[in-house]
Amino acid sequence: MSADPRLARSRPQQHQPTPVPPPPPPPPMGNLLSKPGSEGTPDESEQSPAPGQAQVVPDDMFKLKFCTVCASNQNRSMEAHLQLASAGLPTISFGTGSLVRLPGPTITSPNVYHFNSTTYRAIHAELAQQNTQLYTQNGLLNMLSRNLSIKSYPERFQDWVPGKPRLDHTEDQGAPGTEAGVVDVVITCEERCFDAVLDDLHNKGGKLNRPVHVFNVDIRDNHEEALVGGKAILDLALSLNEAASQERGMYGDSGWQGGVGAARQGFDEKVPDILAEWQERWPNMPALWSLAWF
Amino acid sequence: MNSSTQALGQLESARSLALGDGRYYPTIIPGVLPIIGPNTNAALETRRWGADFLAETFASPTWPSDAKETCSLTVLPTLRAYLEGENDAGVVKSAVQAAATIYPLVYRHIISTPHDTSNWQLMTAIKSNILRRMDTAPPGVRICCVKFVQQVVLVETPGMVADPRRPEQNDISLALVPRDHPLMLHANLEAEASGLLDRLLDIVHGDHSDALLVTAALNSLGMLVQRRPYIANKILSSVLNFNPLKLANSPMTPKNKVMMKSMERTTRALLVNVIKRNPEGPFTGRIQQYLERIHRMRLDVFDESNRKRPAPVEPTDGLDPSKRQRVGASIPSSHPVPPLPPGPVSFRQLFTLDPNGATAQFDVQAFKDPEQLLRILVPVLQSIDEAKLGNAINIVRSRYLDLSKTQARTAAAESASLNDEEEEYEPDFEPEDAEQIVNKLDSAPPDGMLPDRVPSAPLAPYKLPQAPPLTEHEIQKYGDGTVRRVFGMLSSLDETSSRGKTTKGGFNRLAASSYDRDSWVTILSRLATRAAAGLDDPDEHIKSAFSGLRKGNFSLSESIRSALYNYIMYDWKKRIDVAISWLNEEWYNDRLQADIAKMNAKLAMNGNATNSPACKGNYQRCALRLVDGIIAFAEGTDKVLLRFMSEIPELDRDILQRMKKMAEDPERIDLAIMVLQYLYMFRPPAKEICIEVLEDMWHTNDRAKPSAKKLLSRWRPEVLETDMKMESANGALEVKAV
Repeated sequence: MSADPRLARSRPQQHQPTPVPPPPPPPPMGNLLSKPGSEGTPDESEQSPAPGQAQVVPDDMFKLKFCTVCASNQNRSMEAHLQLASAGLPTISFGTGSLVRLPGPTITSPNVYHFNSTTYRAIHAELAQQNTQLYTQNGLLNMLSRNLSIKSYPERFQDWVPGKPRLDHTEDQGAPGTEAGVVDVVITCEERCFDAVLDDLHNKGGKLNRPVHVFNVDIRDNHEEALVGGKAILDLALSLNEAASQERGMYGDSGWQGGVGAARQGFDEKVPDILAEWQERWPNMPALWSLAWF
Repeated sequence: MNSSTQALGQLESARSLALGDGRYYPTIIPGVLPIIGPNTNAALETRRWGADFLAETFASPTWPSDAKETCSLTVLPTLRAYLEGENDAGVVKSAVQAAATIYPLVYRHIISTPHDTSNWQLMTAIKSNILRRMDTAPPGVRICCVKFVQQVVLVETPGMVADPRRPEQNDISLALVPRDHPLMLHANLEAEASGLLDRLLDIVHGDHSDALLVTAALNSLGMLVQRRPYIANKILSSVLNFNPLKLANSPMTPKNKVMMKSMERTTRALLVNVIKRNPEGPFTGRIQQYLERIHRMRLDVFDESNRKRPAPVEPTDGLDPSKRQRVGASIPSSHPVPPLPPGPVSFRQLFTLDPNGATAQFDVQAFKDPEQLLRILVPVLQSIDEAKLGNAINIVRSRYLDLSKTQARTAAAESASLNDEEEEYEPDFEPEDAEQIVNKLDSAPPDGMLPDRVPSAPLAPYKLPQAPPLTEHEIQKYGDGTVRRVFGMLSSLDETSSRGKTTKGGFNRLAASSYDRDSWVTILSRLATRAAAGLDDPDEHIKSAFSGLRKGNFSLSESIRSALYNYIMYDWKKRIDVAISWLNEEWYNDRLQADIAKMNAKLAMNGNATNSPACKGNYQRCALRLVDGIIAFAEGTDKVLLRFMSEIPELDRDILQRMKKMAEDPERIDLAIMVLQYLYMFRPPAKEICIEVLEDMWHTNDRAKPSAKKLLSRWRPEVLETDMKMESANGALEVKAV
């Protein structure tokens, strides 16, 4: 494992003391794909990007479709959404909570909003009006202004109808490729959300007969961890996408019957290996995985 | 390849049209099929696109299943061609997905049109192709086959018929198939479904290293349990026998770890979903047991801290029978020592090793003579077996250690549990569900509760020792201190609060309905006047020898009185209202005491008619003291005195005589006259006294004569006349007048 060139890059990331949380600046909307995937943090640019892991997946390459999920579709899933979308991967995001919950003036009085209807802009306006100083200081306003540049409102996973076209979301970041309303990979940020996703997929009954890899990456819910977790998710997504496009490159006799060993393997069967390798790289984010059905 | 790119572009625009509105699918499919179809020698990209499109099209929720049913028949040849003539995994995967979606549609079509043999044959061919692949295809395809099998099982087992009259509303299942269907033999379908279900469950119990297939199968079972109660039993029994942690026996590679965890979690999600949907189901109990067991197993497998071999469990005070015997080792203690009783332990219990033995009950105090005791003890000590004694000491020592440890532990447990909670994962960004918060609050101890005491060492009920009785002097000192404190408070409240208030409660007011100065004054004056009233011995004058000792209660009143006096005199002009209300209270109390004394006297009359002691009130004494005090400071312009004199409840000669005294100061003559005049006018009962005092003044105070004369000429002119006569008698009677 130590020979993995990516190791060298990711290790210092995990152990670097994340100082003041610099909530990621909302990237400019226009040059989304031309921009490097990382947020341009200095330590990132100092190190040479690992070979074979381009930060932006070129448009002519095969792309898996991703979905990030956390509890409120605000912090972790949105950070990951941004990073995946910035890497040119088709991405949508959801929350599994019953309501959107944001910290309020005290721990027992959170600010609560409805999913699918309250826009990030409206929440931003309300919080700014409530207590600008407090919500600037705890990073909420910054986070919300990032979010409103990604998509317009938090969505609830349980209310999502997979397979329903998402033509009304074309303005969202990462929208190209997700028009049909299905994804290949769901990445949750907390075990609770992982359970909720599997449970909801049981309830939905798998009517589409379409396989979906559901992953969980345990990320603590704060800005710093979300940033690191977003990088970890991007790492996972790029590894998965690479495997999938390799499978896509194989054909017929030159494909799974022609090769030997790992080269014969298709994408789906490689997933446990990819995840295990990823887990070695990111030991602080315990992972889970399941092949579920839309 | 340019043409294929062009074709793909066209196809893509057709697809986006359909994505925009699902109603376009029936018109688009016939247009697309020739391009993607098997006969056209389409490029790989186009075939992949085609297979994906078919899977997406029939899965789409945007168009009704009736329309899908009709269209599904048209794509059967294409699907079959994909499956039979294709090697690309991507195409096959999507084709199997499309077939899984289409199978129920074709199935329903054949139920309603029993003679459509060709389409059913096509579908059957597709089905057998897929089933053939199931064991040999690459895993990515196999999982899609698993889902296809699930669909077949779903439609070929009996479901619930919601409404027989409206077949289109019903779940597509074996229940819809008529018994006499020419193409679909009921028994065959049922048998096939049962066989396929077994294959599905075999995957779960099969190769555990293939988590992909296992989780794919597990995740497809949920819907079967939910919609086919008929086979739910079989599925759940099978799942409950599944051990997702079987891989724990193989080397713990990172991959195996992640796969085990994932399978465990997937199984759990499936079973939890079953319980959630049917909490009263027959399986709930078994599922819960299973979940608990798996949870414990997972802890065993994954808890890194427990990976080390635990220290061998050995009895420390004996020999382990399962071990090789050490010859010649003596077993220290043959009979077991009873454990200490729970709860607090006395030293006697701590040291008693055999509570039933005779020696434990023996009272050493029976030996009166210490010499005798010594004579017995020394030989006994000499005869003690050293090993036994050492053993006994060790037992007591370990008991003692245990005791001190449990105490320390329980004390530490509280702080430790606090630490635990702090370290628990708390999303600092987003609080939990309201439900969770409520649960947490429910389980939290009530706010006001004291932390539990250390249970192993409850304290004996603690009583404060009785304080030594206070001496007279101390009582006096502390009483005075208390009174001083109240007055300190009074002066801090002074002037600010009570000025605005004009309403007076009178005698019936509650002493302290608020905390203002008025209330405190009322309390104080009532304390002074009423608290000790009647407690002084009526025979006080007789037992004068003891009066010094009996002063206790009485002196409290006196000290309050003098404190009140000092308080008033400290700023008498402003505190004149305090003086007035105090005197009112004094007067009222005197009246009450007088009434009581009168009643007692009446009662006493019946018996021995002793003379009732004259009721010695406090009012006059206090009033005189106050008047004396005030007069000493009053100036000629102090009209406040006027108010004081007019508002105190009772005037008598002694009090008014003080006016005469005041008038001896020429500057205050006017004030004195004014007081008398005012009282004459507004206090009719005091009229006579006023006149007498004035007359007296007229006689004795030359300087006051002019003012007094004015009034006397109106009130009692005869005085002036007699005086004239006396004067005319040339002073002969002057001696007499004094």
